[in-house]
Amino acid sequence: MPVMEDEKKYDEIPEAKEVNPVNPDHENEIFRKIRLQVREVINNKKYAGILNRVFVGSLIFIAVLFLFVFFIYIIPALQKIPSGGKIIVTSSSELKKEADYKRQMTLITRDIQRLSRKYSSYTSGQSYLVINTTDNQFYLYRNKKLIREGFCSSGSYKMLKTEEGRSWIFKTPKGKFWIQGKTTNPSWRRPDWSFVEEGSPIPSQNDPSRYEYGVLGDYALALGDGYLIHGTLYKRFLGMPVTHGCVRLNDDDLKAIFNNLSIGSKVYIF
Amino acid sequence: MENETPDKPASKKPIFIICLSFIIVFIICYSIMMLLGPGRKLAAIKSEYGFVQDKKNKTDERIISDSAYLALLKERSFLQSRIAMAATDSIYLAISFPDSVISLEISGVTVHTTKILKSKSSRILKRNEFEILSMLARPFTITNNYASIKKEPLMIKMAPKDTSEFQPDIIPDTADFEPVNFILQTDIGTRIIVYQEEKIRYGDGIRLFMFDLWFRIKDTLRSIKSVMLFRIPEYHPSIRLRIHRSDAKIIYRALPEHGQIGVYM
Repeated sequence: MPVMEDEKKYDEIPEAKEVNPVNPDHENEIFRKIRLQVREVINNKKYAGILNRVFVGSLIFIAVLFLFVFFIYIIPALQKIPSGGKIIVTSSSELKKEADYKRQMTLITRDIQRLSRKYSSYTSGQSYLVINTTDNQFYLYRNKKLIREGFCSSGSYKMLKTEEGRSWIFKTPKGKFWIQGKTTNPSWRRPDWSFVEEGSPIPSQNDPSRYEYGVLGDYALALGDGYLIHGTLYKRFLGMPVTHGCVRLNDDDLKAIFNNLSIGSKVYIF
Repeated sequence: MENETPDKPASKKPIFIICLSFIIVFIICYSIMMLLGPGRKLAAIKSEYGFVQDKKNKTDERIISDSAYLALLKERSFLQSRIAMAATDSIYLAISFPDSVISLEISGVTVHTTKILKSKSSRILKRNEFEILSMLARPFTITNNYASIKKEPLMIKMAPKDTSEFQPDIIPDTADFEPVNFILQTDIGTRIIVYQEEKIRYGDGIRLFMFDLWFRIKDTLRSIKSVMLFRIPEYHPSIRLRIHRSDAKIIYRALPEHGQIGVYM
């Protein structure tokens, strides 16, 4: 009859009196009440079972968490502890006096000088253009010095698909290119995608509707494979990725680039 | 019937002990095999890039441990690596720790430079040894990458059937705030881990933590698989770099899938 005993214990608790909160008798009474409540919970099989499950569950959770941290973080951290023996780096003054040492040092120094010269010769003293397709910016260099920079527009990364299964990706190619042709007052020969994009029927290869004048600005510089650096009517889009793969510039920048770059000049696109 | 009930927990106990023993044995084996990884990697590097005496032009072996000689060797290794990369017309990355600079280059021309804000490298790569420096003389080639952004943000647009369906392109939304974090796995097992330094949006720190955690989980699962097959998991020395978000995006998008990386430690 444990329930009866508990009830008895409850009966023994004196009724609450209005007391001063700082009174030690009152504090003792509160503690006694708490103790009784705890004892009641412990003696109750149902509560004890729940407590036991919570305890075991917490232990399992902590163990799993520890294992997770151990595998994910602790072991990789321990791998960083130096291994493979001590590194012997010397700086002996006796060795430095030896002829063989001096010869080796001269050889390696000469090698570095030769390699440095070779490496710096890669950067042309002539004019070249650098195009950043992520930020849509260009940088024009002459004699290894930046002479002009500004915004441009590059490929939109749109993939145009038709129901017949044809597709085009409008992106600006990246890497090293060179100017293969220069044109003033260029006309645009519209490729197939230009008609497909509008939903118009594709005309024959030499159809007059393929030719448009004045849309590419005053100049065009060819990079090969149909990619051009040209002007634009949509100047508000400069600095944004909106083109079909060509590089668009505003009129002043295009003129400066056209005047500075000659056929064979390098264009670096990244 | 009364006798059957108390038997149940007793039968569970041995299973529990067997499972626990198995887990403990596995943890011990896993830890030992994982800790053997760096030593094995170093041994592999030493056997592949170790000093070989030139019969015609003999070198005093004491020289290859001299600090001044090693400093010059480091410089030469980086130049050799850059020249090898410049020979291709592809875009490549040059990481220089002495200058704290990362450069994106094409055929020897630096097209973009960014400052390394924070860096941390595996000790194995910091070893000032002939073998490590010889290894760095050859550019690393990217074999795999894992990133929080797409390399090519392709958008698919279906062509209109006729002109009535045509809709002009809308102005692209250039105000992107997606976090830029990426990991480049290279052919010699080294990983270049690049994380953005800034926390632009609320929760960017959590996103980075999740990105890092997810990669660690994938890596751990690979290691566990190796251990279960009684193979020592491959150790991947790493170079962790913190740079500005905009630069991280430029570098990740510019580098080809199998681009090359030169490192000056």
